Amino acid sequence: MRSFGRPVRAARGAEAPDADAPAVQLQGLTKRFGPVLACADVSMTVLRGRIHGLLGQNGAGKTTLMRMLAGLVRPDAGRILVAGRPVTVTDPATATALGIAMVHQHFSLVGRLRVWENVALGGRGRLDSRWTRREIGRVADGYGLLVDPDRRVDELTTSERQRVELVKCLIRAPQVLILDEPTSTLTPPEARHLLSVLRRVVSDESRAVVLISHDLDELAHAADEVTVMRDGAVLARRSAAEVDVGELGRLMVGDQLPAAVAAPAGEPREQVRLRIRDAWATQARRPVLRGLDLRVRAGEIVGVAGVEGSGQGALADLLSSLLPLDRGNVEVDGNPVPPGRPGAMQRAGVGVVPEDRHVSGCVLDMSVAENLAMTDLGPVSRWGFVSRGRLRQRAEATIREFAIGGASPDTPLRLLSGGNQQRVVLARELGAAASVLVVAQPTRGLDAAAVEHVFARIGGLAAQGVAVLLISSDLADIRRLAHRIVVLHRGAVVGELTQATADPQRLGLLLGGRPE
Amino acid sequence: MTDRVARMRPAVPARLVTPLAYLASFTVTMTAVALLVELTGHSAAEVALTLYQGSFADLLSLGRVLDEATALLLVATGAVVCARAGMFNIGQEGQLVIGALAGAFVALRVPAPGWLAPVLTLGAAAAGGALWAGVAAALHYWRRVNVVIGTLLLIFLASQLVSFALNRDWLLQEATPAGQNRLPQSAVLPAAAHLPRWGRYPGIEVGAGALLAIGIAAATVVLLARSQWGFRLRLLGLNPVAARRSGVRAGLVGGGALLISGGCAGLAGGVVLAGDVHRMQGGIANNLGWEGLLVALVARHHPAAVVPVAVLFGALRAGAGFLASTGVPRYLVSVLTALIVIASTLPAAFAELRLRRRPGRSRS
Repeated sequence: MRSFGRPVRAARGAEAPDADAPAVQLQGLTKRFGPVLACADVSMTVLRGRIHGLLGQNGAGKTTLMRMLAGLVRPDAGRILVAGRPVTVTDPATATALGIAMVHQHFSLVGRLRVWENVALGGRGRLDSRWTRREIGRVADGYGLLVDPDRRVDELTTSERQRVELVKCLIRAPQVLILDEPTSTLTPPEARHLLSVLRRVVSDESRAVVLISHDLDELAHAADEVTVMRDGAVLARRSAAEVDVGELGRLMVGDQLPAAVAAPAGEPREQVRLRIRDAWATQARRPVLRGLDLRVRAGEIVGVAGVEGSGQGALADLLSSLLPLDRGNVEVDGNPVPPGRPGAMQRAGVGVVPEDRHVSGCVLDMSVAENLAMTDLGPVSRWGFVSRGRLRQRAEATIREFAIGGASPDTPLRLLSGGNQQRVVLARELGAAASVLVVAQPTRGLDAAAVEHVFARIGGLAAQGVAVLLISSDLADIRRLAHRIVVLHRGAVVGELTQATADPQRLGLLLGGRPE
Repeated sequence: MTDRVARMRPAVPARLVTPLAYLASFTVTMTAVALLVELTGHSAAEVALTLYQGSFADLLSLGRVLDEATALLLVATGAVVCARAGMFNIGQEGQLVIGALAGAFVALRVPAPGWLAPVLTLGAAAAGGALWAGVAAALHYWRRVNVVIGTLLLIFLASQLVSFALNRDWLLQEATPAGQNRLPQSAVLPAAAHLPRWGRYPGIEVGAGALLAIGIAAATVVLLARSQWGFRLRLLGLNPVAARRSGVRAGLVGGGALLISGGCAGLAGGVVLAGDVHRMQGGIANNLGWEGLLVALVARHHPAAVVPVAVLFGALRAGAGFLASTGVPRYLVSVLTALIVIASTLPAAFAELRLRRRPGRSRS
């Protein structure tokens, strides 16, 4: 038997579900990951024939909620009703059988297989390439999705891959189609096309679509209903008629921004330390920077806000010499620095505390002392040889200064706790930041006292004339430290706020990609 | 999560786990070898005795062990440098024969005064091996060809090249009087190009190659642990992203390590040629490249541990030759060698697996 895995309507028709029942009802879904409450008693109703927008910042619980529906995460509590019938979605196969399909943010395609093979993957019965190709052609023509079944996924662009992913879902004739941030890597025309396809899916065939997004405009235009989530809970539901973009932005960010607790340290000076002009870059075939312009002056702390995929990570990679530019340039203290050349940013006086220290920040199998000296062997070397004595001496001083617990200079970094590993990276990079300091998500995984310590250090460096770039998805951090807030969206700066002009609505609009 | 770790605490103290794992692994292996020997109709005790007689029993045999260990040590030292940089060169067998070929060519064709001849020969051998590894390095950095695949396939190309050269009298084939069978081998190297040897029968003989190998191994130990170059190389091997951020140029350091590794293998070929065989033959490598790689593996890529392991493997090679003359098939020693490799790598592989499964390790 050839099929894409769903015992289609026969099984459903037997129990005669209420044709008018909502496609999906979620009732009181709760999910906890360790100490983190990802979803707290969330209820939501998705109707047939509607595009349902799900809005929220990173960590609001949108994706977790939808993963519960798609059978990727088991809820701790709550009920799921599909077409009015209570169901238990134990795994993705069950979800598929129930007519639920999800297009993930990071595609789940096999690069070395051809398009038709990817589409057939997960189906049942005999593998029939001709039949599969014909089905792909039928679905692709029906929706106006251009895909070539015989190309290898490796060779496709991001938007082509997304079309494949979409065809793969649609070919299984789902009742509910979930898309997680589908437009975040598309160009505006591609995004418009995708949304028109989704419109056809709901209007012509009376299916339901859930569109996860943090793009306000997109939801305002494409969605029939919008649910706003923050901190794992539903804050508001709005129908298309009553949607007010400003209100959505405010709801997404929160009613109140945390107050700017302390005045940022010192006054920025005139001298521009870091200048990025018209930076364009691609990473793993995805465009990550699209014309980014940024200037940071000496003594200035600039907060870089943005949702995931907005270019925050790429900016940190660029200043870590890990990302070459397709176009544009970077200047530190007026001197051009070749982007992507190993160690160039470091030598130019840019210190970076990366978001994930294990990737680029440290080496777990080297000692604490070696990790502290890693980026600059000059001061601990002589005649091309690293002096053990000096290495240890410097490390001992740093361990005391930064109170790195449980460490001697020779301790392998692997044996330290996460917080202490972070201190090692901080100690090295704060020391190395002669001109510019980039700190990405500095408070993640640190306790309150450690956060105070880090903030005091950052303030101190700024007061000495270092330009600081504070990249954070935590608005509270930015609010506390920054002189100026720059908001990124789709790889470029969409707007700029000062502490005085930052209000929830403006910030929310900018995060959602609406320049004023 | 902490309580889960606590529950999983092993009954044996942590610092004893590794030695015990090695002990268990070797006990099982040696038992297996003994059983195998008995099953093939020989006496395990006699085989062990013969192996000992052929290796460490007298000074003459010891000299043989050192000769075998020299080439293994050179190959293994290069393999360690390469592996530490995160590159896996497995083509030493080919780099070794190309080294020997280049050495033979220079020794036979380039006239040089007495003391210079061996230096030139070894230099050419090292350069030949490095060049051969350099092909794989270039393929890797320009065309992204996997180093393991590149170095491996170049072995076959190397043996074709050697066979070609040894069958052309205008290249390297030995000139023979008319009517005699022409063998695929070069003429004997001029005496000036032979490496000096000290000591004489029936005492121990030590070749200059052994001293060279020890010197290179010692230099590698110091440079890897202490020099800036060694630091950058280890950094690159352990975390290439952090290395790039810290200014380590992967092509220079990693590609350089591959060249060094090839150079060491080529030098090993030169030492076998100029110190022992004295003429180029197709079978000159005689698995030295492969076994050198195994030495590095058993030493777990520690440059100092390579020395004793090379001597052990050298003893097995020397002992195997002696064993063959008593009627016991030589392949039994090959099986023994293979089992030693498995026994010595198993605990490490096991530890690595356990590390990966350990709960709570951050996402990689």
